[in-house]
Amino acid sequence: MKFRIYRYNPDTDAKPYVQEYELTDIEPGMMLLAALLQIKDTQDESLSFRRSCGEGVCGSDGMNINGINGLACITPLSDLKEPVDVRPLPGLPVIRDLIVDMDQFYQNYRDIKPYLIVNDPMPEVELPQTPEQRERLDGLYECILCACCSTQCPSFWWNPDKYLGPAALLQASRFIEDSRDQATEERLAHLEGPFKLFRCHTIMNCVQVCPKGLNPTKAINDIKKMMVKRSL
Amino acid sequence: MSIYVLHGLRPWLIQRVSAVYLAMFVVYIGVVLAFAKDVTFQKWHEWLFHPFNTIACGLFVIALLFHAWIGMRDVVLDYVHNTFVRMIAFSLIIVVLTGSGLWAARILLLTVAI
Repeated sequence: MKFRIYRYNPDTDAKPYVQEYELTDIEPGMMLLAALLQIKDTQDESLSFRRSCGEGVCGSDGMNINGINGLACITPLSDLKEPVDVRPLPGLPVIRDLIVDMDQFYQNYRDIKPYLIVNDPMPEVELPQTPEQRERLDGLYECILCACCSTQCPSFWWNPDKYLGPAALLQASRFIEDSRDQATEERLAHLEGPFKLFRCHTIMNCVQVCPKGLNPTKAINDIKKMMVKRSL
Repeated sequence: MSIYVLHGLRPWLIQRVSAVYLAMFVVYIGVVLAFAKDVTFQKWHEWLFHPFNTIACGLFVIALLFHAWIGMRDVVLDYVHNTFVRMIAFSLIIVVLTGSGLWAARILLLTVAI
């Protein structure tokens, strides 16, 4: 099986380039991450990429696979057309090979204050929720921050420092929807303005690529709907 | 109108509401044109002179101007990152749209005045 992998080492390369590899030992059910590890082990130990859990839980190995972002560890080789083009996540600075600088992504995540804000005195044991209140967080809390969605979003590519991107906005929705959070007004006010939320043009690339099957576009529209309700 | 540069929700809402009106107007005008026979200046003038049509067309122009402004504003906000160039782009759009609006107002007012 043929692979064309983006390579760049800022210490030695003036420009990024594409390197071809071929693997003959492909087992049935093998994932792309296993192939990358095999290339690293047997052909080129300088090939660099992030990975950790290997089963789509940690979100480390987000990369652009044949033009579509995804997690290498849960992308079966049998689903991929040859040669397999593997590139770093687009829209973020490349540190080396398939490793990108996630600073901007995390900064946008921090911007939405991803934690419960409770102004009342904290109860001694817990903040209870009804099953219905808890259900409202389904489809929001499962995000693993792999950055596949935000880096596939054209609005994020054009304004990564001003538009928060689908991942951060999904989390904004997660805390706005949370019955225990008491900062809904402040959160909505913070997202007002032409950039942070409203650069979303419902392109829906985020929905297409999310490895966890989440729907950031719906979350963003729910925030807009809530803003409209509160302002009318 | 330029104040809307600073907002997010309001232009977004105006864009949607104006889109609904534009869609309804396009259907109305399509039906009118489909059933129109032997269109002369006189007939067109009579049609536009009717208060319902004058107001419907006036609202159409206003909705179109707002819709176009917000759409163009979005394009500039997305793609133009230099503040100076952005300012020039906004100014050009505002001049063209305001001019078009005044032109349309002149046509409508003259039609009603004849």
